[in-house]
Amino acid sequence: MNYENPEIPEGINVTPEHPLKEFAVLLVGVSTAIVVAVVALSLLAGYMVRFVPFAQEQALASRAGTLWQGVVLDEEAQSKQHYLQSLADRLSVHMALPEGMTITVHYVDEPTVNAMATLGGHVVIFQGLIDAVPSENALAMVMAHEIAHVQHRHPIVALGRGFAVALALSSLSGVGDGMMQQWLGSVGMVTSLSFSRAQEAESDLDALQALQQEYGHVGGAEAFFEYVMDGGHWLEPPALLSTHPGTEDRIERIRAFAREHPAVNPKLVPLPTGM
Amino acid sequence: MIVTNIEVIPGKTVIKHLGIVNGNTVRAKHAGRDIMASFKNIFGGELKGYTELLQESREEALQRMIEQAQAIGANAVVNVRFSTSSIAAGAAELFAYGTAVVVE
Amino acid sequence: MNLDLIVFLVLLVLGYVFGQIAEKRHFKSIIEREKALRDVLCFNERHIPDLGPADTTLVAGSVVVSIDYFKRFVAGLRNLVGGRMNAYESLLERARREATLRMKEEARARGATSVWNVRLETASIYKGARQDVGSVEVVAYGTARIPR
Repeated sequence: MNYENPEIPEGINVTPEHPLKEFAVLLVGVSTAIVVAVVALSLLAGYMVRFVPFAQEQALASRAGTLWQGVVLDEEAQSKQHYLQSLADRLSVHMALPEGMTITVHYVDEPTVNAMATLGGHVVIFQGLIDAVPSENALAMVMAHEIAHVQHRHPIVALGRGFAVALALSSLSGVGDGMMQQWLGSVGMVTSLSFSRAQEAESDLDALQALQQEYGHVGGAEAFFEYVMDGGHWLEPPALLSTHPGTEDRIERIRAFAREHPAVNPKLVPLPTGM
Repeated sequence: MIVTNIEVIPGKTVIKHLGIVNGNTVRAKHAGRDIMASFKNIFGGELKGYTELLQESREEALQRMIEQAQAIGANAVVNVRFSTSSIAAGAAELFAYGTAVVVE
Repeated sequence: MNLDLIVFLVLLVLGYVFGQIAEKRHFKSIIEREKALRDVLCFNERHIPDLGPADTTLVAGSVVVSIDYFKRFVAGLRNLVGGRMNAYESLLERARREATLRMKEEARARGATSVWNVRLETASIYKGARQDVGSVEVVAYGTARIPR
């Protein structure tokens, strides 16, 4: 009988692959898969959600409980809201809103330089925005942009997409741990944000067409964006993370539209006194 | 290569004992399989994906153990044992070890 | 979100650098000590051959090794794709060899020349918040033969 322990060569139980190489391959592969999945889900959810009747969306919006509910406007604010509503009504005539879709404008007396469109055709305009624009044309550009969001049903599409993406990412929660979730979440978020940038561009174009028909030209439309560029009061995150396309791109797009549709005598309409 | 999990090989005589050889592997299935398995947990039944995973892991661990035995000049491994652990959720870790011997 | 990303990247780099250094150093020390303890023989057969008068005693060695942040992240990605998890394989290899070495050290300290019926078990004493483990615990034990 013979007993011994010969030396066993190294490297049989481990795979000699450089960890950084594996890391790079996996990271690129998994990120690509997530981007593809989020894009596919977004498209699907966006497509499906268009079949929700607008009346249902309005019911959802009124039930959700919103910013303006219970706000009592004083006389001055009421007259401003009237003016904004009539501006919205004039613009929507040119925008071919689907049957049954109505735009409700809400005026908020706060210095925030912002405007937004939410579920149920509600458009919110802040006093800060009105202060920032030099003419009605510039205000109409922002207003028409928000109406275009409603027309394309972007608020509910965003809701549907957000829901689908969140559901998909949470179904992966069984795998990996905290930081995996974080990574998956950020990749998914960047993808869905770039999606909404396409929506912004689409809305800008529709808004310009409405302005062209309302005023006969699109002069003054870029004024608000120029204000943003110069003043910088607008809290603008870096282009990659912002839902709005780069301000420069938007001004460029407006100017390109103006070149294509030359106006004979572009005249700016001033804002009514008291605004 | 003769592999047994008893200490002798019937009909053969061990002429040399070469010590412990082992093989280990950690493998996982893709996320789709993990999600399917979590659904299957509702209805019960065999988790085919995981059965397959264990089988692949076991074969690989044995293969590596045999590779070690061959590298030190053995022609049989006796008294083979398997051991598993749970390192990561959804991954199978299989570990096989035995004593490499030379039989005539 | 940006702060999270920075913390994440810093942990990843730290995990990679220190993890690689620790692993290289550990493997080097394992190989050296294995050479030094080569004369303590290990077998997993139950039957101890009659090689003269001897005493027997139980010897054991155990170790708990954790994986680094970088490798855990790579393993998490690998878990999505499927396949062999290289990150954990080297961890297991380290743990197993270290436990065996400690068992041999105990055997040597007691004057043994061989260890019989060696068994390796993986224990599980640490689990993270989400049942993610990330560390391995190995116990090696056997019967040492001490020539009289």
